[in-house]
Amino acid sequence: MAVPGPIPWDLPSVTRQSADGHEIEFARLFEEYSAPIHNYVLRMVGDPDRAADITQDTFIKAYRKLDTVTEATSTRSWLYRIATNTAIDDMRRRRMVTPMGEDAPAFANQPDHRPGPEAQVMAATLDERVQRALLHLRPNHRQCLLLSDLDDMSAQQIGEVMGLSYAAVRTLLCRARGEMRRALSAEGFAR
Amino acid sequence: MTMDRHEPFEELISASLAGDLTPTERDRLDTHLDSCSQCRTTLAAFADQRRIMSGLRHVGPPRDLGARVRTGIERGRFATVPWWRRPAVMFAGVGGSLAAVAGALLAIVLLNGTPSDPEVGQATPEPSATITQPSQTPRPSLPPISTQAPDASPSETAAPPSLAPSPSAEPTAVPEPDVVMAVTGPVEDLAYAVVVDGTIEEEVVPIEETTGDDVDEPMSPSGPPITAELSPDGQWLAFITEIGQRGVNDVWATRIAGAPEPTDPDASPPPDSSIEVGDTVHLGESVAGSPFLERMTWSSDGRYLAYTLADPETDEADADAWMFEPSEGEPRRLTDVGNAYAASWVPGSAGTSLLWLSMAGEEPMSYLVGFHDDASRVDEPFNPADDAIAEAEGVFQPLLSPNGSLAIFWRGRMSAELDRGWIFVEDGAPYLAEHPMDGEPEASFEDERKLFSDLPTAGPLFSSAAITWGLDGDAYAVWDASWTGDGTDDENPYPDATRVYFGHATDSRGLTRQHAIDREDIDPEMAVVDVEVAPTGGHLLVTARERQGGSRDAPRAEVRLVTRNVGDVADEVEIVDIGEDGWVGPAVFRNDTVPEWDPALAP
Repeated sequence: MAVPGPIPWDLPSVTRQSADGHEIEFARLFEEYSAPIHNYVLRMVGDPDRAADITQDTFIKAYRKLDTVTEATSTRSWLYRIATNTAIDDMRRRRMVTPMGEDAPAFANQPDHRPGPEAQVMAATLDERVQRALLHLRPNHRQCLLLSDLDDMSAQQIGEVMGLSYAAVRTLLCRARGEMRRALSAEGFAR
Repeated sequence: MTMDRHEPFEELISASLAGDLTPTERDRLDTHLDSCSQCRTTLAAFADQRRIMSGLRHVGPPRDLGARVRTGIERGRFATVPWWRRPAVMFAGVGGSLAAVAGALLAIVLLNGTPSDPEVGQATPEPSATITQPSQTPRPSLPPISTQAPDASPSETAAPPSLAPSPSAEPTAVPEPDVVMAVTGPVEDLAYAVVVDGTIEEEVVPIEETTGDDVDEPMSPSGPPITAELSPDGQWLAFITEIGQRGVNDVWATRIAGAPEPTDPDASPPPDSSIEVGDTVHLGESVAGSPFLERMTWSSDGRYLAYTLADPETDEADADAWMFEPSEGEPRRLTDVGNAYAASWVPGSAGTSLLWLSMAGEEPMSYLVGFHDDASRVDEPFNPADDAIAEAEGVFQPLLSPNGSLAIFWRGRMSAELDRGWIFVEDGAPYLAEHPMDGEPEASFEDERKLFSDLPTAGPLFSSAAITWGLDGDAYAVWDASWTGDGTDDENPYPDATRVYFGHATDSRGLTRQHAIDREDIDPEMAVVDVEVAPTGGHLLVTARERQGGSRDAPRAEVRLVTRNVGDVADEVEIVDIGEDGWVGPAVFRNDTVPEWDPALAP
């Protein structure tokens, strides 16, 4: 599957001539991770506009906190952690102001007005069906599954992102797979 | 519930997909798979799932993401945060209003700087001379109860006080009150600002991170703040936020300043906290909707914060007192009885901090318990009744005045409600009493009288109300009165849940319907969220929210500075307006002007 290329980071003119280590390091981070972080967040929230906002905020926070990254910290896990927490905050906020049921994307849980479930399933692309199944998962299950299967992180790395122990991640991941299995089944996937 | 015999192997199957198995686990799984078709099916399903997931289309970010991030970095703006991180909006649109409020506050301080003059709005015919400067006698005492019989009928209107606003007094060198505003954008994203001399002292400071770094802890303040308490040393801002419409609150504490330089070389300040300035600690989650729960109390040296959490997850509205000790950096549960409420600290008890705790019940009780400041920390929750050094029968949640000499507390029969915790169901009413500070802890409350002097003394009265003291130790405010008794009517309810009652302990008439601030002070479509009495005791900062009524609009609140006038003179109201979609409030005052209680001066 083709992965979008890196987004270039323009050092501001004022710092271009004397770009310090902080700016250069941030430029590297942005170019390397903005695309995967955005993709991860998009799958988390299922909405392109929100995903763009959350990704934007993630990198603003990362810029401000870059000095706190130590050699012992995995920069990738650190960035994903910021993204995860920013996405959680966004979801909490929307849950608070949005009447129940309207938080889900337009294609989920909407009554009437549309073809029956079976026709719907058949009409949607594979990608849409998987995304729909993902959005039925609990947020922590969704995060765990995405980090594992979309971003190919180990249980150890997922633990760093989610603040969980290795054992807790394995248990959580197993439950997430079980939940996803049922959600995919509802979307017409066999097994 | 028994565990499915396949369950342990499902976890191994899941882990095997990412190569996360030890050799031993691998052998164990392989052996099992050889004989279990169900787990082989699970393995195939999980493998399919992983293949599907990894094959999902990668969607790139918008092309302008870099520019947006750059703009956000340079302007300090977040995409999901609306108004207050936009400097132009904050300082042009809001700064002027804040300046107006703080300027008014300064003027008010000057007006009220002379203790012998009655304060503007103080509905007291004969203001007591016992409310004085700290260097004089700091202890107010209650005046004789007025011989004028109060109007016992809530439906009738008593004669209005005949006081006119006080004349201006010469300015005196009273420390200027500062205001700390806890503000939020349309939904959350808390911040605060310090207002000094009518201007914002420093940049609006966001409160968005917990325990050091938001990447360490996924929680962050999740809703509008509804009450706040500043620690007496100015280091910590404790506050409570709503969690949407769930009927649940969060309790937080943000460190907003470092340890102050000690002014008394002989004093032993509390040990410094390891929590850094700017960090926020989550102190717990509680059932919302009760003034008895939605309050916090700092010890006078800022060493401890006590508060109450009613577990929203249980079916019995279990309430227990909690404590946050900044030097420890984390909250701890104080009691384990299921009906304990934090009330207030006794100020000025060096070496041992004394806390009033109340146990709700059909017949409530209050207990005074002590914490030795130098003792090693005790983590075990306790029963206040077992460790009390004093007790008060029938007394619930005594709120001591800032100098500790007076108390407002509740009496009545209580009952537990799932969605509010304990409330009064019969004879419920607040009382005012003296709280002796003469070293005899068993002498708890003396010379008590009803706070509302023109309401009945028994029957179905209050179920609850919110109460706060002014820092002068004399003024107090009551609002959010929930009333179950007769005598109210739609035209002229009393007590009115939508109004604030503003009284002074030295007013011999107590609190009456005449002490309500003007109906026009708060718009009818707004509800009072929080009230803070100005340090000088003459003014109120009222946080009022717009009633949402099912609207999907983000919650909005504003802070109104109410200068109380009496008779035919309308109150003066200034509004801190931040625009259409924001939330401002609650506001708190720095304690620079608190008269410190000196036990040596006690009679």
